[in-house]
Amino acid sequence: MARQKLVRAPTTASLPNNLRIPSSTPSLIKTLGKLSRQALLDLAFFWLDDRNVESFPPFLQQDEAEGPDNEALPYPAGETIEEIQQVYSDLQDRKGGKREVLDRILEGDWRNGITLRQLAMADLRYMDDHPASLRWTALELSRVGKQSPQQSPDWSGSVPRIQAATFVQALQREISPLVKAHYHLGRSATLPLTLLRIFVVDSPYQSPAQSAEIFTDSSRIIYVAFPDSCPFIYTSITASGSKTAPSTSSVATDTRTLQRLVRDAIPKALSRPQARFSLNATSLAAKNLPTLLTLRGPGRSTVSNGAFSIFADAALEGSPLDPRPSNTVAPEDHIGIDPAETDSGRDSTKRKSNSLEGGALSPLSKQRRMAVHSRFGTESSIAQAPLDRLDIRLLDRPGSDDEDTVPAVSLTFSGSNVISGLRKLAELGVVDPERMPSWMTGEESVSVATVRGGQRLQKDV
Amino acid sequence: MYTDPDELDTDIASIHAEIRNLQKRKRILTSSLLATDPIQKLLQKAPASAVSDDLAALSPLAQAAGKHNELNHHRIAFGATAFPFKDPSPNSPKNLLGIRIDVCTRNGQFTKPYYILLRSEQRGTEKRLRVHRHTVPACISMAKLESAYLSRPVRDADPELAKPWKGRRQDLRGFARELRRELVGWQMRVDAVEFLREKLGLEGRYTLEGSPDRDTGVVSVAAASLEARYVRLEWEDGRVGRFKLSNGGIVERAVVIGDQGRDKKTEDMMTGGGGRVETVLDRLRVENRLRVERVSTSTSSV
Repeated sequence: MARQKLVRAPTTASLPNNLRIPSSTPSLIKTLGKLSRQALLDLAFFWLDDRNVESFPPFLQQDEAEGPDNEALPYPAGETIEEIQQVYSDLQDRKGGKREVLDRILEGDWRNGITLRQLAMADLRYMDDHPASLRWTALELSRVGKQSPQQSPDWSGSVPRIQAATFVQALQREISPLVKAHYHLGRSATLPLTLLRIFVVDSPYQSPAQSAEIFTDSSRIIYVAFPDSCPFIYTSITASGSKTAPSTSSVATDTRTLQRLVRDAIPKALSRPQARFSLNATSLAAKNLPTLLTLRGPGRSTVSNGAFSIFADAALEGSPLDPRPSNTVAPEDHIGIDPAETDSGRDSTKRKSNSLEGGALSPLSKQRRMAVHSRFGTESSIAQAPLDRLDIRLLDRPGSDDEDTVPAVSLTFSGSNVISGLRKLAELGVVDPERMPSWMTGEESVSVATVRGGQRLQKDV
Repeated sequence: MYTDPDELDTDIASIHAEIRNLQKRKRILTSSLLATDPIQKLLQKAPASAVSDDLAALSPLAQAAGKHNELNHHRIAFGATAFPFKDPSPNSPKNLLGIRIDVCTRNGQFTKPYYILLRSEQRGTEKRLRVHRHTVPACISMAKLESAYLSRPVRDADPELAKPWKGRRQDLRGFARELRRELVGWQMRVDAVEFLREKLGLEGRYTLEGSPDRDTGVVSVAAASLEARYVRLEWEDGRVGRFKLSNGGIVERAVVIGDQGRDKKTEDMMTGGGGRVETVLDRLRVENRLRVERVSTSTSSV
């Protein structure tokens, strides 16, 4: 029986969930070490849960009996699952660093190795805790070809109804001849998203011969996020990104090619006969998942931002049952924010109100404030969707009609929240709020745009 | 007497909140009072010259209240109202046509109003309206609606190209009507799922833990997506089901799968009897009783 394990034949199957990465792999320790103590404990509890423990078997005394093992390891093997659960409960109850939990997991209960599925779960947990850890690109799914007009029109959006397992199967069928992959699907705990983590490796074998370091190579991991009920998907594949060092296994297929293969396979996997989909760019990339959900998500704010955020937030008018005339009610009241919360909660509003209370408002600054408000809309809309980068290419000729000299002016704004920064500049009077083009107010809700005459060109030139 | 400064702070904060609430209530009452019929009638009846000083000071407020009241009546009665909006951007078309759609929910409240802002485009001699911005959720396809109702009128140049569904004129009324119908349908589906959950005592709970409903054996009911077109059911014996909900509140199709494959009896029960979604639990209750009887007779006969 033992000999069979040595046979390595190329297959088209996906990498198995239970493929173990040796616990002593340095990069594995580093990857898991990014998680907080609580996150590590939560994962351990999940793995040891009665319903899941079969998929993530910890190292028990009976395993020790099977193979002669050196006794030098710091953690004695547990006798039963309950005993190990108790150990983690004790760790939960007392304070301490995350190192002790990490060591316990890697050198104690899972000393045989961490499976690919466990690693994927750890990565998804890290993303839940740090929604701004990756740069995401929003792509739009659109139907290919014309639909014939139906007798009973269906106005629901062109969101393909997918079943996760079927989708992964279809994706596997698409890419398996080219790359070998491991798939993990998970639901985000904090956002209305389903996340798919794909790990790709360029080996046809079931257990790749590459060193174990490859399993934590972040350039080989691709995330695809499916927001609920909207024709968009987000991927962590960036056009310019992954400039990290070429993979150590010096095969011709570099990681960017692998990523491209996966990206091309996604729309095909979502398609069915008579309903084909393609992925189109939407000029939005941001380092924050909530931003993408606000600007390319299922909700009200996808197509009305900037000046139009007053409509998205319904800050303009109240319900038809409200007897108060709309102009006498504060916008916050319409949105339904408790003023007490905004006072203490948001730092920026507090600072702003302080500076305004400082001196009596001159009519000029009041006018400017009105103008800023009319251009940028509600403040909460900007705070919810921070853009970390805004690239603008201007195609305007300065003054003269000289056809030959089109200056290539490119502007790049970067910061924690670009639009909010521009708003601040407008409040201070650096930018004229009445004359500024709409791409500065976040109205276009893009992070890349080509602009002519103040208007965004739909197609990049 | 020594008092904790923190405690004082919280007291002050709560008093502030109380004051705000009372002020809000006062303003609602004032507006309601000013908008009442007797006062509005009095205002209309009194000739401008005969208005006393008190009334003159009051009248702008009262008039505003009256106007707002009228506006609200329109919003409640018609559901879709139009308004002009000026785009503040210096580079875009200035004047936009806004449509506001109000949808009433189960509990008598209204949802946040939906807005659609249309710009008019001049192409040669013809003018056409196009959707500029909107706040309609993505599960309703604005692009499809727009292409059906606001597509460009085709010039009768090439009869080959002029497809029958493209020959229509721009139909703003039809656009607003269809959109409102879709929004109301969506809200009704969401309400129906909520209603079922309430009946089963599942409000606010999304986990499977919890006792199943005794009469139907259902452990969970939830919309499959935000769109609430499909609803997912789970029974305590492991059967899972899904049904499709029409805009009119009818269970159109249902699939129930258990360990022994499709459970056609339950499926028929769900779609049968008129198929109203509100009574689907009653029908499931009947089915569950029959099922129990079937099981008991089959065991007794053995």
